[in-house]
Amino acid sequence: MENIPAVANNVTQINSAEFVKLTIFNDVSNTANVNVYTFSSSYKSETIGNTTYTPLGGLLAVGAQNRDIRVTSGDTTIALSGVSGNNIFVVLDSKIRGSTVEVLRGFYDANMVLSNTVSRFTGIVTNYGISEDREMLDDNFTVTISASSYKTVLENRIAGRKTNKESWRYFNSSDASMDNVYAISGVQFDFGQDPKSKTVVPGGGGGGGPGRGFEGDEFDR
Amino acid sequence: MAGLQEIINKAGSINIDRRKVVGLQVTRNEIPRTSLTPTRNPWRFTIEMPPVLSWWDHRNLVEALDTLDRYSPQIVNFSNSCVSWIWRYQGVLTQNQVNGLTVSSFNGTQLTLSGLVAAGITNGTTLFLANDLIQIGANPYPFTVASTSVVATGSNTITFTVNRPNFLSFGAYNNASITVGPNCNFYLFCPNMPIYKLVPGNQFSFQGVLINNARIEFSDNFTLYEWVGGAA
Repeated sequence: MENIPAVANNVTQINSAEFVKLTIFNDVSNTANVNVYTFSSSYKSETIGNTTYTPLGGLLAVGAQNRDIRVTSGDTTIALSGVSGNNIFVVLDSKIRGSTVEVLRGFYDANMVLSNTVSRFTGIVTNYGISEDREMLDDNFTVTISASSYKTVLENRIAGRKTNKESWRYFNSSDASMDNVYAISGVQFDFGQDPKSKTVVPGGGGGGGPGRGFEGDEFDR
Repeated sequence: MAGLQEIINKAGSINIDRRKVVGLQVTRNEIPRTSLTPTRNPWRFTIEMPPVLSWWDHRNLVEALDTLDRYSPQIVNFSNSCVSWIWRYQGVLTQNQVNGLTVSSFNGTQLTLSGLVAAGITNGTTLFLANDLIQIGANPYPFTVASTSVVATGSNTITFTVNRPNFLSFGAYNNASITVGPNCNFYLFCPNMPIYKLVPGNQFSFQGVLINNARIEFSDNFTLYEWVGGAA
């Protein structure tokens, strides 16, 4: 379990900064082909785990993150400056959605030297937004990245295959395991007796008879 | 130099804001808890200009301000005789001794200077008093000394605390010389650059001709903000 010494010692002051790492995958088939962008709210560049977090990236704010004991779905937002930086270019010109986001919090000692870091959030970018706030002669741009935790991503993931001939042979054209599904679909089996003829599957709302489920079922891998 | 330097030189009053980014909560049992974001802690000056500047004499000033606008930084200092007393060096070093000191380490808020022996700085010498201004090399981002710094016996180095952490790169501070006192440079811009109003008056005669003139009244105080993004 992660420990946060600066807080655990019951000090009355903590010095902390946030570090954000954005890993953009340029090629689905090549996970090494990535662009990594780092941002921090610290006063200088810090190297954490071989990654240098620059303070010049334009980090404006990091949204709230859940810190539940059990695994829960949590989203967060990261606001970046869109003024005189390349952040607008990053979100528009790269495959930002699906990128990995990691948020760390770093703790500084009294001499403002980084002493500890803890992970706060790991997830995937699900959306981004660019907003312009113009009032009279003040014109500002903000890039907002929305990120979801991995649990949310898994909840929305549909995977697996249907228990019919086509779906089964999609992965292995010689797999005949489900070839007879159509023949037995709709047939009632009273065990110990001869099978009855096919029955007509009732329309929607019928709750599905025992012979109906094969084609409609999906399951997670 | 016109522009922000002239604004500083002719300031009616100067408000200095060096407050840090802090979160503050007082618990139910009235114990305060604070959090600090370690920023570059930029200097912020709010300068009030006296409404006495004449249009004829300061057209170059307003043109410089219009050129700088709200987004251009300018290097300024407080060496003008009108304001040099503000950051007067309080230590006892001569200029030659200051020139002999170099930065050997600058980690967080701990600044170490070396070269004391060669510079003839002996035991017990007070190098700095609290609030003395120090510039590292040619970087226009002054730091202030947090407390009195006295040389220990036989030491060739001295380490002391400054008001904000080091955000200069290694190459920018390592073995760099230092500048102290009012000659330290600030890199400032004016995000609220006031507009100005001309109030007719102060007419004068020039070669027998009556020349119309005006006083310049600025719409607001000048809020000068340190351009710390240039340091990397």
